Amino acid sequence: MTTAQPTGFKSWLFTTDHKKIGIMYLVTSLVFFVVGLLLAFVMRTEQLDITKKVIIDADLYSTAFTIHGAAMVLFWMIPVLTGFFANYMIPLMIGAHDVAFPRLNALSYWLYVMAGLIAVMALILPGRLDTGWTGYPPYSIVGPSNTAFYVFAVHLLGASSIAGAVNFITTIITLRAPGMKWGRLNLTVWGLFGGFIIQLVGVPVLAAAVTLLLFDKYLGTSFYDGTKGGSPILYEHLFWFYAHPAVYVVALPVFGIVSDIISTFARKKVYGYTSMAIAIMIITVVGFETWVHHLYVAGTLNWTRVVFMWGTIAIGVPTGIKTFNWLATLHKGSIELTTPMLHALGFISLFTIGGVTGIANGLLGLDIQIHDTQWVVAHFHYVLAISMSMLCMGGIYYWFPKFTGKMYNEKLGKIAFWITLIGAMIAFLPQHTLGLDGIPRRYWKLPAKYAPEMRIAVIFSYITIAGFLMTLYNFVHSAIKGEKAPANPWNSKSLEWQIPSPPPFYNFEKIPTITEGPYEYGKPAEEPAKSH
Amino acid sequence: MLKQVVRLLMAALVVSIPYAAAAAERVVDPVKSWDNHLKTWAVVGTVVYLTVTIPLIYFVFKYRRKHKDEDGAYIEGNTGLEILWTIIPMIIIIMLGVQSWAVFNDLREVPKDHIEVKVVAFMYGFEMYTPEGIKTLNELRVPVGNVKVNLTSKDVIHNFALPAFRTREDMVAGENTYLWFYAKEPGEYPVYCAEFCGSGHSSMLAKVIVMKKEDYEAWVKSKQSEAATATLTPEAKGKNLVESLACLGCHGIAGETKAGPALNGLFGKTEELEDGTKVVVDDAFIKEKIADPKAKPIKGFGHIMPPNMLTNEEYEAIAAYLKTIK
Repeated sequence: MTTAQPTGFKSWLFTTDHKKIGIMYLVTSLVFFVVGLLLAFVMRTEQLDITKKVIIDADLYSTAFTIHGAAMVLFWMIPVLTGFFANYMIPLMIGAHDVAFPRLNALSYWLYVMAGLIAVMALILPGRLDTGWTGYPPYSIVGPSNTAFYVFAVHLLGASSIAGAVNFITTIITLRAPGMKWGRLNLTVWGLFGGFIIQLVGVPVLAAAVTLLLFDKYLGTSFYDGTKGGSPILYEHLFWFYAHPAVYVVALPVFGIVSDIISTFARKKVYGYTSMAIAIMIITVVGFETWVHHLYVAGTLNWTRVVFMWGTIAIGVPTGIKTFNWLATLHKGSIELTTPMLHALGFISLFTIGGVTGIANGLLGLDIQIHDTQWVVAHFHYVLAISMSMLCMGGIYYWFPKFTGKMYNEKLGKIAFWITLIGAMIAFLPQHTLGLDGIPRRYWKLPAKYAPEMRIAVIFSYITIAGFLMTLYNFVHSAIKGEKAPANPWNSKSLEWQIPSPPPFYNFEKIPTITEGPYEYGKPAEEPAKSH
Repeated sequence: MLKQVVRLLMAALVVSIPYAAAAAERVVDPVKSWDNHLKTWAVVGTVVYLTVTIPLIYFVFKYRRKHKDEDGAYIEGNTGLEILWTIIPMIIIIMLGVQSWAVFNDLREVPKDHIEVKVVAFMYGFEMYTPEGIKTLNELRVPVGNVKVNLTSKDVIHNFALPAFRTREDMVAGENTYLWFYAKEPGEYPVYCAEFCGSGHSSMLAKVIVMKKEDYEAWVKSKQSEAATATLTPEAKGKNLVESLACLGCHGIAGETKAGPALNGLFGKTEELEDGTKVVVDDAFIKEKIADPKAKPIKGFGHIMPPNMLTNEEYEAIAAYLKTIK
């Protein structure tokens, strides 16, 4: 085994090293995050006047929210978590030299890049993707959209996800260092484990759903044509069977990272470790019993809606357990408010707003009024989009010294955090009002009386976007000019911090033997065994 | 411990039986039950949010690190507490769920005494049919009382959203869905399409007009006699065609720009095409435009108009009608 780290352009292009692949995932997904931010900026600018055209017409507006959604969910959030954090952290956290199948890992990354290129081509080539990221038929079949691009992007991305899931599930099961019991894994690893199980079960169903879309559009079949014996509702079922659990693919690793950050900066063991891990696995399973809440008003049988209401709101219980355990971890801790810690705490406050409004969406009787309204847009930006993007930034800050070997700028990090949080707290609040009034989402123009609400939404969205851009600037600037980081700047007990920063090629000179979990702060010295 | 959990769950179910019983007796005004449900949720939600954020902020201030190498207390967890914050959310969720179920039954179970109307959606508008078979566009007139609305679509998925009555349902081509509402007070109530259906989505607006019973009957009579005495001049025929072909979903006739240009004052006007050439709107252009809308797209509008193959007489009737509206 060589310990010299290969360098140069080719060493990145042909690499099978999990750390390099992780960094490539990070950079690529951040590019898509910026694309998503730009589109958000364009859409919000269009809302400066909600009665007439400002900069883009209805056609372009539909394209903008389609690409915004796809870029943010499929090309930013899922890849940064299951690509970057998983790749870089799992082998370091479980004490392995690399992943189980390094070449499959490289394939995953390049499939993701190709899917991204197809998505970009869809923007440039004639025809346009304007179906929303959900791609519902019959609109995606009879409408003007170049659905083939959507389908092929989903196929490549799906292949990438399945390969990644197989790879990391195998890695976590088989490559743990001696003594790294399941009860000693970082919760980040547990969260990713749950996320990968969902990917493995769900993605093939999504791939099947969009394949039938392709057949319907180009080969003249009628799987989704209600007038010829098919049903467009079938697509909605197949799509959401994966696409709802997909939010847990994002959420579960995020929950794990929050636990890791809070434990490190409160210098305290994660409260109720076992119930935290169990809650993750419960969400993994119950997450598949929720999808019909996307079809609460789609003409589905009344009793199926009731069944899935129970599945949906049941998710609130394990999520509640996690939230209260985080609070209990802070209790009697020794808290230091570093930039990553602020992001974790900011995440909890935003996420709880989204959690509470999410219960309203899950409650069947309430949802009928607010289904497919601006309320839903507000809800998922709190619970998923902004809060979890923010937490991903926190995670990047937290491990920044580890993967770059440099320190980030703490002061700029904190300023950027507060700007983002203030923006995010208010930006989507007014849209709840519109939702309660029943105003639908995906609306290019809105009734004129909501102008004041939307003006507030626009201004605070700009602030949120500015905050995120400052964070990104901090990353780039610090990666180039940051001070050299020590191996363990946080004095963390977790395994990834016990090796040099950045980690050497093959991570561990010798696979370590693990004797305790990653969160054993302030553990009293063991009493000598009593003699009988 | 497991026994206690089961007992608590049973207790919660017993407590919730009255709710289920209330659902069995028909409450006639779903708007009221929905508004109550929202209030319950808002109270619970506020309490939950404060229960999380107040300790969060308090702990951050109280347990700030005093000196550099200080560790937190070594606490692994507390089974009792962890079970407590599993059970309490569970009970809250069951209570909310049972209430929601009852509200849902109110919203979906159609009372026996109701009239039935039909609404067909298209890109971008709603065709409404009263029980007497009168067809109107983007305007549903009903008498005070319970109304069941049977829904379907001609093309993509749309949604018939009636916020004033707290209900909505998707409209799917080839499938029949329904909703019902209690038209309590005479007045006008907005209708939105709440399922993304293309570039005209946000201009796909309509209204429900609730009328006093006698006003409604008078309206029906006047419509029926109008139909009986209608003289079929080319202009009137053109007007009927424009209405029945659903042109008005995208084209205004009062100067307003919707998904397409307004029809009034259009005849004789000079329009710029996408390729920059100028065209005068005359009989021939109107015919061409209706038969193959995508051939000469007008600048500034989308390509969403469907082609319509009509007879020559019908094209001329439409042109004749357009001449009359300025």
